[in-house]
Amino acid sequence: MDNPLILNAEGVNKSFAGFKAITDLNFYLAEGELRTVIGPNGAGKTTFLDLITGRTKPDTGTITFGPLTELVPLSEHEIVRLGIGRKFQTPTVYTDHTVFENLLLSLEGVRGVWKTLFSRTTSTDVDRIDEILKIINLGSRRTDLAGSLSHGQKQWLEIGMLLAQNSKLLLIDEPAAGMSDDETALTGELLLKLAGKHSIIVIEHDMVFVKQIATGRKVTVLHQGSVLCEGSVDAVQNDPRVIEVYLGRKKAA
Amino acid sequence: MVGGWLIDVTGRSVGRGPPSFEKTHASQTGKVTGIKVAMMSMDNEHAFAMHKTWLSGILAAVFFVIPALAQEAKSARQIIVEAVVLSDDSDAQVKLVMSLTGMSDPEVEPLLTAWKEGTIYLAEGSDDKPVAVTLAGDPDATKKETAIRLDNKEPLKDAAGAVVRLSPARAEVAETDSSIRRAMKAVTDLSKIASPEAKDRLMAITQLGMERDVAKLPILEGRLKVETDSKVKRAVQEAIALTQLRSPDAAVRLTGCKSLEEIHPLSANDALIGIIRESEKAGDKPLLAAAKNALAAVEGHRAAVNFVGTLFRGLSLGSVLLVVAIGLSITFGLMGVINMAHGELIAVGAYTTYVVQCIFAEGLALSPFGIKMHLPGMNTTGWVYEMYFVIALPMAFIMAALVGLALERGVIRFLYRRPLESLLATWGVSLVLQQIFRLVFGSNNVQVNSPSWLSDNWTINDVIFGWNRVFVIGFAILIVFGTWALLSKTPLGLLIRAVMQNRNMAACLGVRTERVNMLTFGFGSGLAGLAGAFLSQIGNVGPSLGQSYIVDAFMTVVVGGVGSLIGTVASALGIGVVDQSLQQILGNPVLGKILVLGAIILFLQWRPAGIFATKTRSLES
Amino acid sequence: MTHSLLVRPIAKKEWAITGVIAFFLVVLMPLMNYFGWISDFTINLWGKYLCYAMLAISVDLLWGYTGLLSLGQALFFSLGGYMMGMYLMRMIGDMGQYHKDMPDFLVFLGWEKLPTFWVPFSSFSFAMIMMMLIPGIVAYVFGWLAFRSRVRGVYFSILTQALTYGASLMFFRNDMLMGGNNGFTDFRFILGFDIRSPETKRGLFIVTAVVLSLTYAGLRCLTRSRFGLVQQAVRDSENRVLFSGYSSPNFKLFIFVLSALIGSIGGALYVPQVGIINPSEMTTEKSLEAVVWTAVGGRGTLVGPIVGAISVNALKSWATRAYPDLWLIILGGMFIIVVLFLPKGIVGVPGMVKDWLQSRKPPEEPDPVPLSKAADKAE
Repeated sequence: MDNPLILNAEGVNKSFAGFKAITDLNFYLAEGELRTVIGPNGAGKTTFLDLITGRTKPDTGTITFGPLTELVPLSEHEIVRLGIGRKFQTPTVYTDHTVFENLLLSLEGVRGVWKTLFSRTTSTDVDRIDEILKIINLGSRRTDLAGSLSHGQKQWLEIGMLLAQNSKLLLIDEPAAGMSDDETALTGELLLKLAGKHSIIVIEHDMVFVKQIATGRKVTVLHQGSVLCEGSVDAVQNDPRVIEVYLGRKKAA
Repeated sequence: MVGGWLIDVTGRSVGRGPPSFEKTHASQTGKVTGIKVAMMSMDNEHAFAMHKTWLSGILAAVFFVIPALAQEAKSARQIIVEAVVLSDDSDAQVKLVMSLTGMSDPEVEPLLTAWKEGTIYLAEGSDDKPVAVTLAGDPDATKKETAIRLDNKEPLKDAAGAVVRLSPARAEVAETDSSIRRAMKAVTDLSKIASPEAKDRLMAITQLGMERDVAKLPILEGRLKVETDSKVKRAVQEAIALTQLRSPDAAVRLTGCKSLEEIHPLSANDALIGIIRESEKAGDKPLLAAAKNALAAVEGHRAAVNFVGTLFRGLSLGSVLLVVAIGLSITFGLMGVINMAHGELIAVGAYTTYVVQCIFAEGLALSPFGIKMHLPGMNTTGWVYEMYFVIALPMAFIMAALVGLALERGVIRFLYRRPLESLLATWGVSLVLQQIFRLVFGSNNVQVNSPSWLSDNWTINDVIFGWNRVFVIGFAILIVFGTWALLSKTPLGLLIRAVMQNRNMAACLGVRTERVNMLTFGFGSGLAGLAGAFLSQIGNVGPSLGQSYIVDAFMTVVVGGVGSLIGTVASALGIGVVDQSLQQILGNPVLGKILVLGAIILFLQWRPAGIFATKTRSLES
Repeated sequence: MTHSLLVRPIAKKEWAITGVIAFFLVVLMPLMNYFGWISDFTINLWGKYLCYAMLAISVDLLWGYTGLLSLGQALFFSLGGYMMGMYLMRMIGDMGQYHKDMPDFLVFLGWEKLPTFWVPFSSFSFAMIMMMLIPGIVAYVFGWLAFRSRVRGVYFSILTQALTYGASLMFFRNDMLMGGNNGFTDFRFILGFDIRSPETKRGLFIVTAVVLSLTYAGLRCLTRSRFGLVQQAVRDSENRVLFSGYSSPNFKLFIFVLSALIGSIGGALYVPQVGIINPSEMTTEKSLEAVVWTAVGGRGTLVGPIVGAISVNALKSWATRAYPDLWLIILGGMFIIVVLFLPKGIVGVPGMVKDWLQSRKPPEEPDPVPLSKAADKAE
């Protein structure tokens, strides 16, 4: 990797009431990289994202964003403001707001209580929103309520909201879950389009989808809270340890 | 409605302030269960203070008389008869009455009472002398009754040998003046010292101790030699020591201080402070030192008593909280339903107890919505009546469970996924229920009598353990154990836990979740009913009974950690003990309660999910 | 593009309607009272309703718009009332029963001199500043603690319930020097006017109507500004709000304090009109009653709470006279029915009827289901 690291997690441990969710995890992500993380249920994938975004705090270990910024002491919204955006497993958008308003609220910039009271929407804002709408294929739904979108469209809107935030690092939790095959393919294309400009961590189960986005890139396998192995999709799939972990579960293609 | 922080708002520590009532608004129901001896004896003390000089004079005289009279070995009846007829010589009458002092004759008291109450009459005897008689209570057409001689209980006959009949309205009453009545009282009081009942002896001796009349020291000392009951013996020692402090002889006072130091009774506080002041003035150093030591011992003892007492009261308050909150910890903690009508379910239990009690007694007339209803009673008395509570407990559970089931079917089942709305709807239900209570049972509190086996107490080393409090602790343990066993040891419990963890998954596995919800809610409601049955024994039963417990119940569950039975137990006991301790320290129940509420809010800062939080990894929790 | 402060602009027509209604309340009703077409009693009663409307709006701002069900709004309402009450008590002067220049209950408690904290309340402006400060500070401190530790949903409700309960216990105490059980009453003057005269009552009504209209207009703008959008986003998905980089606790705190102030102003206007304030106003039940008004009128709208407060209280005035025994059952039953069957309240009824009519003739509608439409366009 030539690019500098954007995320650097070392020696991270986290347990819940005795259950070790994350054990001695070391994880490095380079700027502009699109990394897919796979692993069986309970491997600690979602907990890992929780730790990065400050939702839970690690028992031990350090998580560094960019060259210097230590994430552990920061609160969730502060971490977001650094440029880390997260898309949840179940799509989480503001259902009673229009698509436009969803993106407007996500636009980088105005965040404080007083500022939102007196903020005006500028034409630059509107242009930026229209640009994102085009990227996520929702131009025609601009004034519809987000609650009326289909499951897949909500996923895209949520990704669009991360773009509006101008997140440097996108954390994307199971984007293909609950999508039709066509929607899945479109989502894959969208992510590939974003790779390079943004650093992305994708957590996924669907191996077809993983192949689509991870071919030629690095895949990380988590197991019991630590990294089991890393490598290309094919290498990982043929790794005997991985097969054992997934035994009888996913021996996809 | 501002109820106290449960039953205990007026309860004070031992030895400080007036004796406690077990009930907050005792006057409303007239059910005062815990007046202590001290209160009753206060009036007496007052009376004695006024007549002290008078009495000691008489007493001193009497002690010389007793041996002489004893030789004649007259019965109490004879002496009293003799006294009654001496109606012209009140001094002689007083002397005779006083001569009864220390007699263990059981007739003393009833006869003196009869005399005092004016049911002894003076009739013309055959020899023109007045004869003391009572009337037989067999009025004829002229309202005259047969006169019975007081001395031999034979009908009085006139010179002609005919039975004398007198009209109570006309006959001459054997009168008593105030000095005779005082003497009578002194005699009856003292006679109780020798009563065969240890309880009566204890009471009489405690009273004597409070009088602190040096003249009575010999009586007490005499008693000490023959007393066998250890409790009474201790009381005698206490009374002697207290009385010794009044002695004119400094050496005796010193002895008093020393024995007080040894037995450190709480009642010695004021007397010792008095002695300390006195000896400081008089410069009596050894006495001062002894008194100070004694006071230190008393205060040390008081601290210990207060500590144990506070702990006990805290535990019992905690148990009340626990009993009240445990139903809620099922419906709120496990099911996530905010049932604002939980308090009214408690009231349903309490009213059920009331109805059962009435059925055991003379029945109950109700007029809800203008409809007249009469529930016939069984008119039981004695131990059968006292067992009503045993029947009331399961009835309370069943009634509250039924109301809970109706509530679940009618309202709550539509709102399982909308907790805020279930809060609002159930509040509506609580308003309706409260108003129904008012319409059926009236707006005033109803009277529920405690069975005697709940209204006594044990006093161990000056710490009072009320039976109802002991019972609530045992009751709470039983309920917690029962709930735990039901949840973790029975098939139903397994289903309940499964449904509460993941309703959809359980449904997929073929569990009839609707039914489980219903049963769980019914069970939680039934527990509320049990709590109500119990609260009826220690607090008032009225339409707003539930309102005074609901905040406390919710706090208990939240602090304990929602969904954790053991958490509820820990928080109930914790809140109970902290509350009682704060009351003890601040001497002010309301302030204590406000502080507890503040402390709870701060506590939730530190542990937002309660003591026993179920840690979860789920994002949307 | 629009450069308005409002993300969702408000139509001119709506302003016009609002203006007409405000004009009716502020000008026409007092005029009709002046000419004797509306009795003094009615004007006073409506003044009370409008104060309740303020309270209901404050509940709705929290519950309807932010998803926070506060059971402490009656506390803020009463605190405002108490601050105003302290001023009014001072205005009695030496006309009390004891003819001393201090409130009767203080004389009764054995105070020779006015306690220090009472002294500045002789000034109306000081009392009004306190009327904003005290509830503001209470709300700020409590809200800061609650939101910081992520107290949400029903837990927030239960904690506000405890707060209210604790405060009422305090105000019931005599040594709080706020009148204990009996609170404050027997007021005589406000700003030099006789508080019992019809003119003063009319004046108070006008002030209340003006304040309510301004509050409505202000909040209407607030809820449609970007702030308002964030506020409603907190209600719909607080997680997303956090992960969009907003500090949702700060937003909630702001709203909580704001609604405490609105409630407090309502209480301050209420007390001179009803002539009494005591701790029984400060209970959870009163808060919940205000929640009923909001729910009946329609939460999540600003008109709803006003409609609800007026209609439920009008019903109450009638029912407590006609069926005194049944009023609580009616109130409770209304609550259950609204929660179960009318989640959008009275103002939501037209919408519900429309939906119902539409659902009865689905074939004619070209595309009633948005989801399928969405799928089509996505391709």
